[in-house]
Amino acid sequence: MLEEKVFEELISIVGAERCKRSKEDLLTYCYDACIHEYLPDAVVFPKSAQEVAHIMKTASAHNIFVTPRGAGSGLGGEALAKYGGIVICFSMMNRILEINTANRYAVVEPGVVIADLQKAVERAGLFYPPDPGSSAVATMGGSVAMNAGGMRGVKYGVTKDYLLGLEIVLPSGEMMMTGTVTSKDVTGYDLTRLICGSEGTLALVTRINVRLLPKPKTKRTLLAIYNSIDAAGDTVSKIIEAGIVPATLELMDKRLIKALDDFTHLGFPLDAEAVLLMDVDGDPETVENQVALVADFCRRQGAREVRVSSSEKENEQLWFARRSAFGAVARMRPTCLIEDATVPVSFLTATIKKVIEICERNRVQVAVLAHAGDGNMHPLMLCDQRDEEEMARVNKSMDEIVDYALSVGGTLSGEHGIGVNKARYLPKQLSETSLKMMKAIKRTFDPQCILNPGGFLDYGAL
Amino acid sequence: MISEQLREQVYSCIKCGLCMNTCPVYRQLYFEGASPRGKVQLIKKILEGELEISAYFSSLLHTCLLCETCTVNCPSGVDLNRLMKAARAEVVRKLGLPLEKRALYSLLSRNRLLPFFMFWGRTLETPLRSLILKEGRAGTIPATRLPRLNSRPLLDQYPQIVSPAGPRVGRVLYFVGCATNYLFENVGRAVITTLNSMGIEVIIPRAQVCCGFPAGQAGMRKIALRNIRQNLELFDPGDADAVVVDCATCGTALKKEYANILEEMGENAEAARRLGQKVQDISEYLSKLDPAKYLKPVRGRVTYHDPCHLLRSQGIKEPPRNLLKSIPDMEFVEMAGADVCCGGGGAFQFDHPDVAAGITKNKVQAIMETGAHFVATGCPGCRLQIHGSLGDESIKVVHPVELLALAIS
Ligand SMILES: Cc1cc2nc3c(=O)[nH]c(=O)nc-3n(C[C@H](O)[C@H](O)[C@H](O)COP(=O)(O)OP(=O)(O)OC[C@H]3O[C@@H](n4cnc5c(N)ncnc54)[C@H](O)[C@@H]3O)c2cc1C
Ligand code: SF4
Ligand code: SF4
Repeated sequence: MLEEKVFEELISIVGAERCKRSKEDLLTYCYDACIHEYLPDAVVFPKSAQEVAHIMKTASAHNIFVTPRGAGSGLGGEALAKYGGIVICFSMMNRILEINTANRYAVVEPGVVIADLQKAVERAGLFYPPDPGSSAVATMGGSVAMNAGGMRGVKYGVTKDYLLGLEIVLPSGEMMMTGTVTSKDVTGYDLTRLICGSEGTLALVTRINVRLLPKPKTKRTLLAIYNSIDAAGDTVSKIIEAGIVPATLELMDKRLIKALDDFTHLGFPLDAEAVLLMDVDGDPETVENQVALVADFCRRQGAREVRVSSSEKENEQLWFARRSAFGAVARMRPTCLIEDATVPVSFLTATIKKVIEICERNRVQVAVLAHAGDGNMHPLMLCDQRDEEEMARVNKSMDEIVDYALSVGGTLSGEHGIGVNKARYLPKQLSETSLKMMKAIKRTFDPQCILNPGGFLDYGAL
Repeated sequence: MISEQLREQVYSCIKCGLCMNTCPVYRQLYFEGASPRGKVQLIKKILEGELEISAYFSSLLHTCLLCETCTVNCPSGVDLNRLMKAARAEVVRKLGLPLEKRALYSLLSRNRLLPFFMFWGRTLETPLRSLILKEGRAGTIPATRLPRLNSRPLLDQYPQIVSPAGPRVGRVLYFVGCATNYLFENVGRAVITTLNSMGIEVIIPRAQVCCGFPAGQAGMRKIALRNIRQNLELFDPGDADAVVVDCATCGTALKKEYANILEEMGENAEAARRLGQKVQDISEYLSKLDPAKYLKPVRGRVTYHDPCHLLRSQGIKEPPRNLLKSIPDMEFVEMAGADVCCGGGGAFQFDHPDVAAGITKNKVQAIMETGAHFVATGCPGCRLQIHGSLGDESIKVVHPVELLALAIS
């Protein structure tokens, strides 16, 4: 519990309305999109960097834990107050400060929802490519802290590829800038990219400068339908090998197809074993050529049919369906866990097979989804978290999938991060020296260790 | 108690958050307690016994338009709409309702009382005034922009059976909502004349009462139940082609809510389900009759606002648009975000005027941008809210069927 005088200080900074402490409010800040719950002692909603700095000064003076939070769409409990304390939620600090068309960058506050920024820049003829499945909910601050990837990764990369600079508040309450707004910058260590992906353990991001691209003139969506999941997987590795770069390249298996169709009624092929959902974008002429090329390629790899969307509306419907995948499979069972191991794309088919084999052996229901072009697996494990015995089997499957991914040169997590879910695996991938360096960095930023305790470096302490 | 089947719903929420930014209220307030995801969580904690039903819980639960946007956008299929309504009923059971609300809802539900208030109200300008005005406003709506009462209730203006002048090609029962009966007689007249001129006989059961939806959604299910029973008795469709409704909310009540409420209260819902299948919104019914051949040109530009209770509750999107587009010389323009709630939400805008005003502001701006002369919408609640917030006298808020009637006369 926080002392009353701490509350008084917090209220003097943000006002009573933006400092919440009732049981009802705390219960709505004890979750994110994973299955763990941890109650904070207070939730504050700053509206400026100065307020954030003040809150941190108070917190460090009283040695109180602080956990930053965006929209709470993280899949690993990253934004939860694992040891209680204050949650600083950025949802109310959500203005787009500048969209600079001359120099193609935007400046935003951390609470801006990714999709809102995308829409705003697109109205100005520009394009912000990072596009996690959660773009309609996740915040820019959260996506920086998680280095969110998403569907367009295969062509456009991930969040860190678009960051020009950040304004941050250190745990001590000091403020600083990293980077600039220019597209080139080698002045000093690249702290921007150090903060990016740090899961809110180093500093609080209060302003973000992102690079924008010109908006692609046109876009078409293709749906390639397969009678075998292997053929779909092989197509992906071969497309990448052949040097064709679609803007997105997603793989979904039959369970997922059924779930998506139940929700959207878009007429997905319910008898197919797998589909690839792809975008090609660019100039109209290039796009026409690419559509033909990709469609032909898929057919030669065994696609029984390739559907090409005919309108922007159809594109949108298909991608809306894809974005709903996580929730839609949860229609089948109450709980859904997404695994996120990522492998070199040439191992995609083998990994899919392995995942299915592991889950079948452990009697775990699984639907296979992948940001396939990146080798980023997203098997969705369906279960009921109230059933301990079943959850044990799910955890065992996760362990095995991680081991397999690492054995073929992959990584624990492609984009969802470590959080509390995967912390136990960290020593499997990172050497002792590497962990030692990371801990040293953490101490440099946060000597009191008050920022997001129980984060990935603290595994075992929980 | 919240039924077993609904209880299981709270476990289908995987906290993905995809509902949050679709929620107009969350987009004003930006904290979880005001979001659909947060409400499911709190209901879950109450069901699990970790949280007591409190005044603050109740206020969070009522910080909601019941616009169903979250429900239709939840990929996991959580029926938030039913869950939140059932939870409201629980709250009333536990905490009761403030006296003034109780009085208002029983008044609304008992038609026999209203004429008295109407008389009393007429002499005081309008009855709504004396009941609900605070500082010259009813919620977000300035008193000067509240509608005047009908001189007589619509039900008193027509006989029980209104036959077409020409040959009869069909027959419908007409459920006259309170708004049409007491406030918007023009809508009722338009419904009846339009149907008649297309050869449809209109039967208007005299003893019909308020659909009960307002009381039901405030959690006062006992009051609602009384009205449900009476209406079910009167609206046995028999060999009529349909039961038509001009109000999105009444339509939703008759089509779905009656059966839901009866079922959740452990009553027999058979008759309600039978009725539900016969109920059609007036726009649905008319658009099947090929109205174009009856219509003369009316010059103007019209835009359309989707009432939550038509679009999301009943899935009706195109029929009203098609009706408007069928009027010769009438230019139809789609507004931005036509499907977004207007911010009214029944009692919501009285209880949360600031939040409502923020939501309505966007709606008004979208309407202005179309340059339309008419905003058509099939819901009296939306009509009150939009008319009340439009500063511009040159834009008229109408029911689609009023424009049709204009094109017929
Ligand atoms: C349906 C669904 C689909 C998803 N799809 C993808 C996907 O395709 N790709 C992907 O990468 N992820 C995906 N995710 C995961 C998640 O959405 C992302 O990690 C997202 O970036 C989290 O953003 P958020 O605003 O919700 O952050 P939160 O979950 O609130 O926080 C995440 C982390 O960021 C920190 N943080 C938040 N704001 C700040 C700040 N201002 N300063 C410092 N630290 C901060 C928090 O402390 C926490 O450690 C998905 C999640 C869901 C539910
Ligand atoms: S969209 Fe559905 S599953 Fe996702 S948080 Fe909202 S209610 Fe829960
Ligand atoms: S019904 Fe509407 S206002 Fe209520 S929680 Fe859902 S989206 Fe929000």
